Amino acid sequence: MKNNFIKLAGVLLIIGAVASGVLAWLNDATKERIAMNEAMASMDPAILEAVMPGSVMFNEHEDTDLIEKIKSENEKFINLFTAVDASGNELGKVVRTWSTVKGFNGDMELYVGFTPDGQISGATVISHQETEGLGSRVTLPDFTNQFIGRDGTAVIGESDYDAIAGATMSSKSFLSGINNAIAVYAEYVK
Amino acid sequence: MELVSLFITSFLVNNIIFMQFLGVCPFLGVSKKIDTAAGMGIAVIFVIALASVITYIIHHAVLVNLELEYLQTIVFILIIAALVQFVEMFLKKSAPGLYQALGIFLPLITTNCAVLGVAINNIIFEYSFVESLVYSIATSAGFMLAIVLFAGVRDKVDYADLPESLKGSAISLVTAGLMSIAFLGFAGLQL
Amino acid sequence: MNRFEIFKNGITKENPILVQQVGMCATLTITTSLLNGIGMGIAVIAVLTGSNIVISALRKFIPDEVRIPAFIIVIAAFTTMIDLLMHAYTFELYKALGVFIPLIVVNCIILARAEAFASKNSIVDSIIDGLGMGVGYLVAMILLSGIREILGNGTILGFRILPEAYEPMMMAVQPPGAFILLGLLIGVVNYLSRRKKA
Repeated sequence: MKNNFIKLAGVLLIIGAVASGVLAWLNDATKERIAMNEAMASMDPAILEAVMPGSVMFNEHEDTDLIEKIKSENEKFINLFTAVDASGNELGKVVRTWSTVKGFNGDMELYVGFTPDGQISGATVISHQETEGLGSRVTLPDFTNQFIGRDGTAVIGESDYDAIAGATMSSKSFLSGINNAIAVYAEYVK
Repeated sequence: MELVSLFITSFLVNNIIFMQFLGVCPFLGVSKKIDTAAGMGIAVIFVIALASVITYIIHHAVLVNLELEYLQTIVFILIIAALVQFVEMFLKKSAPGLYQALGIFLPLITTNCAVLGVAINNIIFEYSFVESLVYSIATSAGFMLAIVLFAGVRDKVDYADLPESLKGSAISLVTAGLMSIAFLGFAGLQL
Repeated sequence: MNRFEIFKNGITKENPILVQQVGMCATLTITTSLLNGIGMGIAVIAVLTGSNIVISALRKFIPDEVRIPAFIIVIAAFTTMIDLLMHAYTFELYKALGVFIPLIVVNCIILARAEAFASKNSIVDSIIDGLGMGVGYLVAMILLSGIREILGNGTILGFRILPEAYEPMMMAVQPPGAFILLGLLIGVVNYLSRRKKA
């Protein structure tokens, strides 16, 4: 009886071990592709296109020490990415940052893209708490497109852009986010 | 409040049978009489609640820590199979009355995809422990509601004068479809 | 039974969905478009054939008392393999099928074939049985998902085949449509098989 029990448990153990071994190997072999798929899926194509036209993906910047350094010196900075097209060529850098001036209801979160020659390629709001229909208009291309092509190394003054009528605070908050991205880009990336 | 809304959503709005189709096999198989349907329903609530708690703990305490998430399917199905065996043995010894009532349904529950489905959904939806407990109880109660209601309707359908080809599972499925339309009405609930 | 009959058996006389009516959950849920139906059908063929091969090969090694847990481990392993492969190589489909990929493990047809066929027959016969049952499943999936996509969307595999003026029957791709259309499909199959006998 006891021998039989050991045999039964042994058989199950062997099958289980072999199965786990095969799965461990396959998991290892597919891990990279799955991570890539997930990363691509988490990026909304509309956002990619608005920030860096032609890009299919934002890869985290390779130099993690640099990212840590910026984080420690600039508290609103979130992350730095390299935007790539479908064949993996670099199109430019993307800064993810909070705004430094509060909007109507707090900070907003932005992606700001920079072309290799230092121009702003696009900017978009990822999250905000502005009033729907009013302050939320800072997310629309009508407003954000005015920053495309601006010099990415010089801070944009308050008289240099068109704020949204009736949503000045939200507009200022957006501008502060752009300017923080410009500050990061000019100091650490350029 | 959020837990109440989670309960109602999982119980009615996203009813596991009529909206998500998990556990349709036993739903069609064990719904010929109202009392057997109720027995199956109770057994399912019991096993799903227990299985959710155990798989939740194992997933977060063991699989995540050891980075073995890819073994989720194997581990969960073995836990469920073992759990059902254990519950069966336990009931047989300590509660023969209950065992008499539920015993025959227990082996069927291992291959009830509702059990594994709820356990996996708890992880996919990133529920907290309390949320997953509420979700699993509400969902399995929804199963019981569906199967008991369905058994009641089926009782009547059996006496209907139907074309030969539609008798049996064909008309059962159409009936389930009509009940599902009724459940679509809950989608309008403002929670 | 010769090998051709084993194969044909799974598609017609013992079709898993249309005749045996097992493994209905995924059948009802993911058949909202033909592509999903085909994807799920192929995933089931792979798991069914794979587990049939291994279980048949191990049939003398696995003691009778623990055969069910042993079968479950083998099936779960194949299911996880398909899960990982689809996650890596057919990402869109993987997202569309969602929780129903891991749920292949509790699709009763697979355990039923392991128990009723693979554990008693040679490897070659088991492969043929797995393929036959799997293709039978695929055929039923194609029928149901094709009907639902045409009625609910006016398209086949995304290509428009009904004119723009066609008002899509939303109910067909919603849950009630799944139950009703599958019920009617089974009714039609019953009718045809009864006529053939008569």
